[in-house]
Order: sequence, then C-alpha cells, then structure tokens
Amino acid sequence: MAEFVIAPDGRDAPSLAVSGDLDLADVEDFVDHARRLLDGGAAVIEIDLGGVTFIDSSGLGALVRVQRAATDAGRRLRLARVPYPVTRILALTGLSDLFTERTER
Amino acid sequence: MTQASPPPRAAAHPKGRRRAALEPGRVAALIAVAGTLLTATATFTTARIDANSERRLLHQQTRQAAAVLGAAITVIEQPLSTALSVTEVAAPGGASEAFTRVMAPYVGAGRPFVTVSLWQRHGDRLTRVAGSGAEPALPPDGPATQAYLLRAFDAATTTVRQVTVGSRTRIAWVRADPRTGFAVYAERAIPADRRAPVDRDSAYANLDYAIYVGPRVTGDALSTTDVDPASLPLRGPTDRESVPFGDTVLTLVTSPRVHLGPAQSRWLPIGLLVGGVLLTTIAALAGRRLARGRRDAEDDAATITALYEQVESLYGQQRELFERLQRALLPQAHPRITDLEIASRYVAGARGTEVGGDWYSVVALDDHRFGFVVGDVSGRGVDTVAVMAQARFTIRAYLLDGHGPAAALARCSRQFDITTDGHLTTVVAGVGDVLTGEVTIASAGHPPPMLVNGTIAPVDVPPGRPLGTGPATYEQVTFRMPPGATLFCFTDGLVERRGESIDVGLDRLASTLEAAADHSVDELVAHAVQVLRTPEAADDVAALALRRVGAP
Repeated sequence: MAEFVIAPDGRDAPSLAVSGDLDLADVEDFVDHARRLLDGGAAVIEIDLGGVTFIDSSGLGALVRVQRAATDAGRRLRLARVPYPVTRILALTGLSDLFTERTER
Repeated sequence: MTQASPPPRAAAHPKGRRRAALEPGRVAALIAVAGTLLTATATFTTARIDANSERRLLHQQTRQAAAVLGAAITVIEQPLSTALSVTEVAAPGGASEAFTRVMAPYVGAGRPFVTVSLWQRHGDRLTRVAGSGAEPALPPDGPATQAYLLRAFDAATTTVRQVTVGSRTRIAWVRADPRTGFAVYAERAIPADRRAPVDRDSAYANLDYAIYVGPRVTGDALSTTDVDPASLPLRGPTDRESVPFGDTVLTLVTSPRVHLGPAQSRWLPIGLLVGGVLLTTIAALAGRRLARGRRDAEDDAATITALYEQVESLYGQQRELFERLQRALLPQAHPRITDLEIASRYVAGARGTEVGGDWYSVVALDDHRFGFVVGDVSGRGVDTVAVMAQARFTIRAYLLDGHGPAAALARCSRQFDITTDGHLTTVVAGVGDVLTGEVTIASAGHPPPMLVNGTIAPVDVPPGRPLGTGPATYEQVTFRMPPGATLFCFTDGLVERRGESIDVGLDRLASTLEAAADHSVDELVAHAVQVLRTPEAADDVAALALRRVGAP
C-alpha cells in the first residue's frame, strides 16, 4: 500500500513523494497523482522515491509512463532520493538512463 | 511440467438452510387467536369481578334498606304500645278517653293509620270501647275480627296481617295486653297501586324494591313497591332481606336500579373488550407486516447468496480460463534438440483471479541451433496475457527468421508502447549452437540468466530498455557453454522479495542452484522453484533451464 503526498512548492520543483510499496495495486493511483503534478505546468517535476520500500515491474512501468507523459508534454521528470534497491532494479532493467536523478549535495 | 496454485475455492454457502418462516397469514391468525383469548379472558374476569362487586354492594344496600324498614316499623308501632300503656294506667272508665287522646296525632289522612280502635276482653269476647278514623277494613263485629283479636292475646308480640277490602289493601295490627285485657287494633293503608315513590336520598335511592308481608314472594303478599306491580317479581340480580314484623316478617326484595359500584368498574369490561379487539387487530396486522418483511428479507438474502455463489463461480471460471489461456501460450512440449536438455516451470501468482504475463519459449532453428526466450509482461489479467502472447510470437518469429537476439529485441521494441497498451515487458532472448556450445543473448531489462558451470554466475549481459519504453537498441553477448553447463533463465518473481535488494535475491538463487547443480535439469528447476517461491508470493514465476550434454 503506497501513500502519495504532493508538495506543489518543493525545494525547486513541484514534488510527489511516494512511500510504501509501489506495485500493481497502486500504480494507477500513482499515475493519477503524477499527472496532477504535470497539470500544474512546471517545467520540471520531481518524484521523491525516498519512502519506497518495494517496486515491482508494474511500478517500474508506471514510472516509465509518467516519464513519457512528461516528455510528451515538454517537461522534465526528475527522480529524487531513490533508495538503493530501486536504483538496483532500475539498473538491472535497463531503465537507469531513462531517468535523471537529482544529485544530493 | 508445470504446477499451479489451486484456484480459490468458491466459498461454501450452504443452500436450503433458510429457516422455514411462518407464513404472514398464519402469524396474523396466531396473533388474532391469542389476542382474542386474552381479550375474552380479561373481559370475562373483569365482568365477573364487577358482577361480584355489584352483588356485594346490592347486599350491603339491601341490608341498609332493611334496617331502615325495621326502624320505620318500630316508629309506626310505637304509638300502639304507648296507647296500650296509657289505658293501663288510666283511671277506671277513663281508658277510652286516654286512648283517643294518645292516638289522635297518628290517625287520619297522611298519618300512619287510617283507623284505630281499643278493645276490652271479657272472657272469650271482645268489645270495642273506643275508636277513631275511617271505617276498618275488617268489620268490627265480624267473627274474623274477634278471632284475630283473641289470637293476639296468645301472641307475645304484635300480630300483623294483611287485609283486603275490595281493591284496597291494608295492614292490620293488633297489640294485646293479657294482664289488663285491653287490645289495640290499627289499620294502615297501602296505596291501591302499591306504589311508593323512592326518596332520592333514602336508602332505597339506588334500588328497585318490593316489600312483601310474610316470607313468601307472591302477588298477594305484596305490600309496596317502587315499580309497576305487574312487572314483578324483580328480575336480574336481586337480593332479599327479612325484617321482623309483628308475628311475621316483611320480605324486602331488591334489585339495583343503577350500577352501584364506581362507573369505571362497569365500563372496564367493555373498555377491555373494545380495546382488546382493537389491539388484537392492530397486532395481527403488524405481525403480518413483520412476517412479510422478514420473508422478503430472507428472499433477498437468498438472492444475494445465490448471486454471490454465482459470482464466486464466475470468478473461479474466469481464473481457470486465464490459466488455461496462459498455459495454452506456454509450450506443451519443448522441441527435441540433440544434446540439449530442457526443463521449465510456470507458477501462477497467489493474488486474485488474474494471472500474470510470465512466459518462456524454446524453438529449434535448425538441426543444432536453437532459440529461447524468457519474458515478463508487467501487470495482470487477460490484456497482460494478450501482450505476452504478442511478445512471445513476435520474438520467436524474428529468431526463426534468423535475426540475432539484439536485432530481434530492437525490432520488437518498435511494436510495443506502454503509453498505448500500459505494459512494460522485460525479455531475455538468446540463440545457441549445441555443436559449439556458443550462446548469444540479449536482454530487454530482464534479470540476467545464471550460468551453472562448476561455479554459478549471472551472465554479464548489459540490460537494454524493456519493451514498451519506445524504440531501443540492444547489446548482445556471446559465451560458451561446455558440456554439462546449464543456463538458468527466470523471471523476477523468483528473486524479488519485499524489503530487500534484488541482489540478495540473486545471491539466494545462486546458492540454491549450486546446491542442486548435479541434479537433472528437471530436478534443478523443481528444486529452485520449490525453495525460492514463497506460497504467499503475489507475482508469478517462470523458469527455464537449458543444459548442454554430450561430447565437446
């Protein structure tokens, strides 16, 4: 069960914070939240994955869909605070280069 | 070759366990019967209590009336006793005058007596010494009078009798004193119709009554009454009392003119009857309504249960259909390829009805070359299986056409788009030659296969993007499988667990394979799936093992 928190005024971009398990049960909810963030019109939006404990192939698919939606709308999607297991999955599934990640200071 | 978790059993809903509800009509009838019985009992009981109370009150009032009557008799008779005493003490020859003087206020119209007379006994004969008032009903010289007067001397008390003269009735008294030989005779009139109006405030106010002279209640003996004498005897509840009256009695017969007790005790039975009937009717109607409501509710419950069972059954059928579809898309038997042993397993996820999109496929390209694919379409359900089928046949076709794995995946990547079909597909595709042991593979975001060859290590293949992320290019790697080496391909369901990095799962797979490395490929696959697959896992699992055998 994932939880979503939208911060319209993130550090430097509107942000959607995801926590919990991002899997089949929650992907539609996640995509809806992300689309709302995109509808805000900001040039860059951020998905904060800091609280994500698990992501399955459906969750990865949802990230790809949001990424594609952002690209199609001429925006940029940025991931933030990606946990190590998610980083590993992204690497293993060849998705790493699809996303840009905010680098911590 | 494959095993599946059993489809969810339809929840057992025992049929026909519906309690036999009472028919609404029967409920109403039962309530009506019970209510009527209650009402009848209550009405009867209160009516009886009221009747008893009335009888008791009637008796009380009759006794009071009798007491009043007795007192009245005493008052009436008192002048007679007085007159007798006066004659005794009067001077000789003065008895007549004394008698007349004493009795004067009591004789005449509107007074107690209509006629009085004083008699003196001489042996067996009585002579009238004084008299006043009207003509007596009994002729003074007649033998009846003589006999009556004589008898009075024998009696200890006043002698009373009723005398009738034509249509007139009188009561005749005689009081005699044997010592002095004097006797007083008096007659009191009784109205011709024997009617006596009842004083509203008297003891008789609430009673109809009839007074009879003597113990017998007959028309002849009737003295006075407040009702029409023709309607006598009194009907309904009656009471009677005897009042001493000279040498006889007066019999007082009464019946209530009105309800004697409190008004509510009279109306209570009627009230109970009416109220009881009303309440019974209302209760019967309400009972019928409730019974109907309950029956309807039970019908609804039965319908819902039936629908639920139907849904459960459809649910089971749907899952069964999906599984059959899934299995139909998996190879029933792998191609026979010399010096290549092939084993595979597919296990459906535990979650719900919907099956996932994992698959495997092996195809013979020629006598000694083969192609293989293991893939995973994200999501669940029939559209996932559809995408899986498309991916499976497309890649297989490209491999059969002679394309290398990287080229096949690149071509495929143009045919899948997550924005239109909603799915991400990871695939590892490869081609191999059993003669040389050379194997070339490419990965579209899929976990790398494990090469079991003395040591166990994932094949170092750079993962390209999964299918569905848009057109992509892929790198392929070539390695050599010596005889006895096994290539173990799998989907992420075998290694992914919540709360741990996938690297941990890959390490666990490696050690599991190592423990069974010298088993047959069938046993190796069965062992890996059995050890690594947790029963509660939601994701489905596909595993394919290829072992090169024979001479190098």
